[in-house]
Amino acid sequence: MRKKRRWTNIILWIAVIVAVVWMLFPFYWAVITSIKKPADVFRLSFIPFVQFEPTSENWRSELQMRGQEIKRGLKNSLIIGVCSALVALFIGALAGYGLARYKYHRVKNRDITMWILSQRFLPPAAVVIPFFLIFKTLGLIDSVVGLVLINATFGIPFAVLVTRDAFRDLPEEIEESALVDGCSRFQVFSRIALPLAAPALVAAGIICFAFAWNEFLFAFIMSYSKAVPMTVLIAGTQDTQGIQFWYVATRMLMAVVPPTILALTVQRYIVQGLTFGAVKG
Amino acid sequence: MNRKKRVPLKEQGKHFFIFPAIIWLLVFTIFPLLYTLYLSFHGSRFLRVTKFVGLENYIYVLSDYRFWNAFRVTITFVVLSVLLTVGLGLLLALLFNRQMKGVQFFRTICTTPLFTAPVALGYMFMIILYEEGGPVNNFLHALGANAIPWLSHPRWALVSVLIADVWQWTPFAFLVLLAALQAAPRDLYEAASLDSASGWEIFRHITLPLISPTLGTVIILRTVEAFKVFDLPFALTNGGPGLATRTLTFNVYTSGLRDQNLGVATATAVILLLMVLAVSQIFFRRYGSNYD
Amino acid sequence: MSKFFRKSVFWGLVILLLFSLSLVAFAQEEMSELEKKTADEAFAKADKGQPDPDWKGKKFTIAVLASGPHGAISGPLYFWRPYWEELTGATYDIAEIPFGELQAKIFTDFATGTGNYDCIVGPSFFYGDYIANDWIIPIDKYFDDPRMPEWDRESIAPPIRELLQWGDNWYGFNNDHDGMVIYYRKDLFNDPRWQAEFKEEYGYDFPVSPVTWQEILDIAKFFNGKDWNGDGKDDFGITMHLKVGEQGFFNYIALAGSFVCMPAPGDDPAKITRYHNVFWFDPETMEPLINTPGHVKALEMLTELTKAGPSAMVGWGLGEAWDVFLRGNAAMCFTFGDVGTLSQDPRVSVVQGKLGVAPIPGSKEVYDLESEQWVTLEEPNLVGNKCGASWHGVISSYAEDPDMIAHFLSWQATPEINHWNVAWGWTGIDPGTTYDFLEPAGKAKIEDYTITGYDAEDITQFLDAYYTLWFEYPRSVPYLRIAGAADYIESLDIHMSEALTGQATPQEAWNRAAQDWNRITDQLGREEQKELYKEAIGYSGE
Repeated sequence: MRKKRRWTNIILWIAVIVAVVWMLFPFYWAVITSIKKPADVFRLSFIPFVQFEPTSENWRSELQMRGQEIKRGLKNSLIIGVCSALVALFIGALAGYGLARYKYHRVKNRDITMWILSQRFLPPAAVVIPFFLIFKTLGLIDSVVGLVLINATFGIPFAVLVTRDAFRDLPEEIEESALVDGCSRFQVFSRIALPLAAPALVAAGIICFAFAWNEFLFAFIMSYSKAVPMTVLIAGTQDTQGIQFWYVATRMLMAVVPPTILALTVQRYIVQGLTFGAVKG
Repeated sequence: MNRKKRVPLKEQGKHFFIFPAIIWLLVFTIFPLLYTLYLSFHGSRFLRVTKFVGLENYIYVLSDYRFWNAFRVTITFVVLSVLLTVGLGLLLALLFNRQMKGVQFFRTICTTPLFTAPVALGYMFMIILYEEGGPVNNFLHALGANAIPWLSHPRWALVSVLIADVWQWTPFAFLVLLAALQAAPRDLYEAASLDSASGWEIFRHITLPLISPTLGTVIILRTVEAFKVFDLPFALTNGGPGLATRTLTFNVYTSGLRDQNLGVATATAVILLLMVLAVSQIFFRRYGSNYD
Repeated sequence: MSKFFRKSVFWGLVILLLFSLSLVAFAQEEMSELEKKTADEAFAKADKGQPDPDWKGKKFTIAVLASGPHGAISGPLYFWRPYWEELTGATYDIAEIPFGELQAKIFTDFATGTGNYDCIVGPSFFYGDYIANDWIIPIDKYFDDPRMPEWDRESIAPPIRELLQWGDNWYGFNNDHDGMVIYYRKDLFNDPRWQAEFKEEYGYDFPVSPVTWQEILDIAKFFNGKDWNGDGKDDFGITMHLKVGEQGFFNYIALAGSFVCMPAPGDDPAKITRYHNVFWFDPETMEPLINTPGHVKALEMLTELTKAGPSAMVGWGLGEAWDVFLRGNAAMCFTFGDVGTLSQDPRVSVVQGKLGVAPIPGSKEVYDLESEQWVTLEEPNLVGNKCGASWHGVISSYAEDPDMIAHFLSWQATPEINHWNVAWGWTGIDPGTTYDFLEPAGKAKIEDYTITGYDAEDITQFLDAYYTLWFEYPRSVPYLRIAGAADYIESLDIHMSEALTGQATPQEAWNRAAQDWNRITDQLGREEQKELYKEAIGYSGE
């Protein structure tokens, strides 16, 4: 029995090491690429100072010369991420509460939920062109507002399902007694249910934020200069002399930091959010 | 809420809650979808609709070898990606389903790939898989193996895209399945091991049925997301070499926004949508009951 | 655990930030001073025209490739802006567009009438669509306008001059001049040891100045797989950037010219007839020529060449392909003018001082479309190319103050300012006027270049090669400038990649391309395309 345990332990530790190296390697590579001279990028070298001379030129160039652009990119990504998450949460929480507390008759709860969920299955490619044409008419091209609307749309299914589960788990007695006391449903919702379901709201919010933060297709097509977020800036590192990987690295690192930090703070709830509550994390 | 009629307390505000979502989705998804459908039946020139052409666009698309190539690439990618991410995720989840210190740390690391922009990932993997002087091929050399033409050979190019995709999504599968495993009641396992059932039998008869709903969810989610993949092949190989990594979404992008042929692009998009809907029907049939 | 992780990530980033900020002081001060001094001189000498006082306080928007304030093509716009503001009192916004989005953004802006961009400093690929849709204005009227600075149209290399015109009108202002040449390691070519070995292996003298593609192929195969730089690893014969979408198709176009463009009989070998000097389509029927035997042979040659280099290069973009040559691991590099500049930068190159540059070689065998036979010529069929974007300015039909824009673009086109841009490599502007080439043929002095950091011999090789390519080759491959040009090229690019990676034979690949091209032509209107094409190549019907 002990031998078996030792073997499994060894395999386990090997698996852990391999998995950790595997997951962190691209980040590590991005870090050293960002401090390599352009010539060194194509040459094999792992350790700064030992195998290659690091340079701060790339970071300096990005923060100084392209600083305006980068700042704007980060700002846009942040605004789009936060606002679309908020909008999605607002609409989603309302719907989630409705689905949790009421029984709808004309269209069954189940069908409504499935219909909302199916929005997630819609390939963005299928609607990108109409969106472009419609937004063009409305003057929403190259505007942060336009991208917020789009990303909110993609986030609503998450918000609805996560909050629905969260609300369903709340005991109904508190709310019922409040109703009896004369509160309106909306007051019950906003003053009692919402605060109690706060963890789930946060989880759903983070998920929506992350997906909006990484969204590329629509951002690429809809933004020109004012509303350019980080993902498009990363793609924009290609110029007449090819892709400038050192800038890709710097931008990738800058772009990965905010969602990662957010994720770290609420990682307990992420699992729940990701599976629409099919599993309790 | 004004009391217009005698609405029971419990039913107040029923529609108020659900309406915003329904209206939003109608405006922002159904309406554009209908527009897509409309466009697919018309010709266009430079983003302007010209005339009604009936099924011409669909015939063009379905008789274009580029469509079938992209179809093949997409299906191959979806199948392999789902198998790999879910398979590896399951394996890891089973492996880590025990008391271990550092699980928290490990789970934290697992969330970082999810928040990396696929575009950035694609470019990063370009230099990681750089055949002449990249770390991966040098590692292979050190082991005595041959260098692999990651980005210059059509088959390997698709593998490279898969690698990046697996890197990004296996943690997701892992986290979810781990949570499912840990939610399972412990006594079942203890009873089984007391009965000296083999590990494989435990897995087949107890574990698998228990996590089956979650497994199904993960599979369907990964499948749907894999159908939509665009950023990764765009950044990593730009659809090449030749057409080897061009997915259907990639085709929609090139015909719609580069070639500006809206009719063909939307026809391709509609076909893609039908494919995804067919797949999702399977999901709903099995798991729809969860959503009552 | 996660708190620790979070904290270490946070502090790691802070340290990195402080580190990078602390090194802000070490800017490249020296170069900037010299740049400023020479720029001031150029500004003083250049013709300033007579700026209209109405322009004071006005602004226009330039769309340009996104390379940043000190990058290729966009850099000069930032650099010269304060000078122009001082000169006219007007200014401009710079809207940078990433390379991959150029077509989408520019076309959308025009097609939808949005008019965000008043002026485009863009690639020459889009003229077909520009002209077909009246999106840009002709600029002939500005040549005699006293307000405009004078620039010398005659001094521009003929192939590039063609690009700036359409039919009888001018549309583009002089700026960048792109073409492809073959860079090689002068030290290797002139090394008696390699020369002797080559003679043994191939049976003829080493062609120190190669003039045919067969010679290039032999040289490439000879150097490929040998360790000639003594670093213990095998080196390569030739590198090219052949990844889909990374301008590998230009390599093909430059190469194929000599196999496909049959010189016309009679006095004027450069005359465009139905069967002579045509490259893309039959001007009478609009049938694609891409799968004719000339093209197929050219693709076969390119496929062979690809085998004489790193196998990975079918997936390489510009950076990777150039790097192998610049770090001394390839004997040749077949690409644009950028390597000329980069080879002088010690940060990325070890070949400074060893650079040889040869204009594009030719083929002795050309396919005659008229007799449908292969013809063997005495001398190699030398056909130049203007491969590349040749970034230059055009004025949008939607611009409110086109005259003001014309002043700016004319000013940038003046010999002094344009030459300054050429001499300073970071601008990405390549030489192409007599002002850029060395005396006696041209008007430039070697000092213009050496003070900006070029090695005297290297730059002489570079300039001589381009001069030969543009002023001494009797003709050049016509650029494809009809509507949908980018679509035709994309199809060529993809199928070329298929052939190079063995997914199709060259004939199959080009047959597929021909099929695609016919589809595109039919979709855009065969008759309209034919008329446009005839205009574009200057075919008058014979």
